[in-house]
Amino acid sequence: MTVMTYARAINRALAEELERDADVFIMGQDVGAFGGAFGVTRGLQERFGRRRVFDTPISENFLVGGGVGAALTGLRPVVELQYADFIAVAMDEIYNKAAKWRYMHGGLFSVPLVIRAPGGLAGGAGPEHSQSPEGLLLSAAGLHVVTPSTPADALGLLKSAVRSSNPVVYIEHKGLYGLKGEVPDGEHLIPIGVADVKREGTDVTIVAWTSMVHRALAAAETLAAEGIQVEVVDPRGVRPLDTDTILASVQKTGRLIVSHEAPAPGGAASEVAAYVAEHALDYLAAPIQRVCGADIPIPQSSDLEQYAIPSVDDLIRACRSALSYR
Amino acid sequence: MATRDTYRGLYTGMLRVATWEQRLLRMIEEGRTSGFYHAGRGQEATAVGATMPLRRDDYLLYDHRGMGHAITKGVPIDRLFSDFLGFREGTTGGLGAGIVHIAWPEAGVLGQSGTLGGSFPIAAGAGLSALYRGTDQVVLCFFGDGASNRGTFHESANVAALWNLPVIWLCENNGYAVSVPTAEAISVAQISQRAIAYDMPGTTVDGMDPIAVYDAVSAAVERARAGGGPSLIEAMTYRYRGHYEGDPQTYRTREERDEWEAKDPLVMFPRRLIDEGYADEQWIEATRISVSEEIEAAAATALQGSKPPVSRIFDNVYA
Repeated sequence: MTVMTYARAINRALAEELERDADVFIMGQDVGAFGGAFGVTRGLQERFGRRRVFDTPISENFLVGGGVGAALTGLRPVVELQYADFIAVAMDEIYNKAAKWRYMHGGLFSVPLVIRAPGGLAGGAGPEHSQSPEGLLLSAAGLHVVTPSTPADALGLLKSAVRSSNPVVYIEHKGLYGLKGEVPDGEHLIPIGVADVKREGTDVTIVAWTSMVHRALAAAETLAAEGIQVEVVDPRGVRPLDTDTILASVQKTGRLIVSHEAPAPGGAASEVAAYVAEHALDYLAAPIQRVCGADIPIPQSSDLEQYAIPSVDDLIRACRSALSYR
Repeated sequence: MATRDTYRGLYTGMLRVATWEQRLLRMIEEGRTSGFYHAGRGQEATAVGATMPLRRDDYLLYDHRGMGHAITKGVPIDRLFSDFLGFREGTTGGLGAGIVHIAWPEAGVLGQSGTLGGSFPIAAGAGLSALYRGTDQVVLCFFGDGASNRGTFHESANVAALWNLPVIWLCENNGYAVSVPTAEAISVAQISQRAIAYDMPGTTVDGMDPIAVYDAVSAAVERARAGGGPSLIEAMTYRYRGHYEGDPQTYRTREERDEWEAKDPLVMFPRRLIDEGYADEQWIEATRISVSEEIEAAAATALQGSKPPVSRIFDNVYA
């Protein structure tokens, strides 16, 4: 095990995959000599050359669509959207091209494309540079959407994404770049679509991803002192959603809270809640609660933005409410 | 340069495309397939003339008018019928494909974006891929005058020129985006003028003359293969049928249609073959017969196909 940051783990995944497979290349805005807007691709161009790691113009439609074209013709591009919010700029390329090209052309092609998309609050980045748009992609059949919350998951999920024959949107959280954690040495792969129980518990389940995993763990720690055992399930991606792990946890605890930074309407928490309601209603001892972002655009102020996403206290209150429900 | 074989090949190619379409229209009339078809009658000289200079391993992104590009590039014509019929023998294995989404990777046919202008970035990406892999493949990307206005063209033309990508942007300017005439939608007199903005060659050719199209594209292909980068070619053409089958065509006059029909490549080009000594009446007649037989045989083969089981809709979502 080595301790490294979330950003460093992403960088390591990219370096290992560039080293392993000559068909892998990286393109995006500022990913070359500059090393990425958040420093995530630092050193990669220097090590692998300008042919493998290069800058593009500010052209998100080309960035993703060009990635699809390269993927259709035998390569494995990793493209970086500078902010996950820019998914909206390249939506036709993501939603209609990357996701559907294989299906609509009769399975004659595969689209081994990774779209890295830094999401989440970053301290005053504002309404168009702070969002968590995974819910926008829930209906994109053909696409995978992964959401790492720890350095080890960031490494293992990205390596799997690069090796996948399917298009993968990899939503990394900007606020977690500096987070340190233990990362296995050697080859570390995490299968796409497999949840991880970040903390075991018996009384209430919190399903959360990226930054909210850490707030859920903090809430669980506080509640443990009161004798309440919270189970924290990180699905590590919303498409495919590991419903088996979520169901098993709810069947054990009988209580479900789903939490993400994005607002509840149209968010992936609704999908989790609906699935559990359809398949495990009889196990529920309390109503399902969505503890999600406020239903507003994210304010620019770095103070106010914190009120747009759920806090540890919000999660604690939700857990207590679930436990006191009669 | 075009040789006797080129002339003859262009005529045979155009005839195959037009005869194929005629047979498809009969299937539509017979109710065997839907009328969601954008007929290419009139535009054969552009589709065939531009596609013939390609090698089999070059890439094609066709547009949604006629199947001339796909047929010329080598998609088996019986399978094309099968796609329209929704039969499992089609290129999509029974999922169905109309004027978009037919593909044939072994002949470099990458398919088509159903959203107009969606093919531009994919073509640029395929060009980038050829360059990355160190091959001398080129990409031919067709689009209409209407799609030329998408922002995706700007992004893709810019990177293609910036990085010397081997892409030929081929605009089939038929004067109308469904019902809106080009003069009401495009800021320049000729779409090829836009090439100047990207510092790439731009040229306008007579899209009713297969030789003019063939020569222009051949030069662009040669340039792209040699590392000279992209070109924009605008072929002035006209569609003889509506945008779709059943289009009332209230937006254009009978006189205008007559004027363009007088330039019908399927009437004019065989005369030119004879006048310029590339073929005689007998060859023309024999070609007509053999093409008709080929298309009829392909239709007969296709009509023996069958629809897929309902479970087909769940296949190929993921690799």
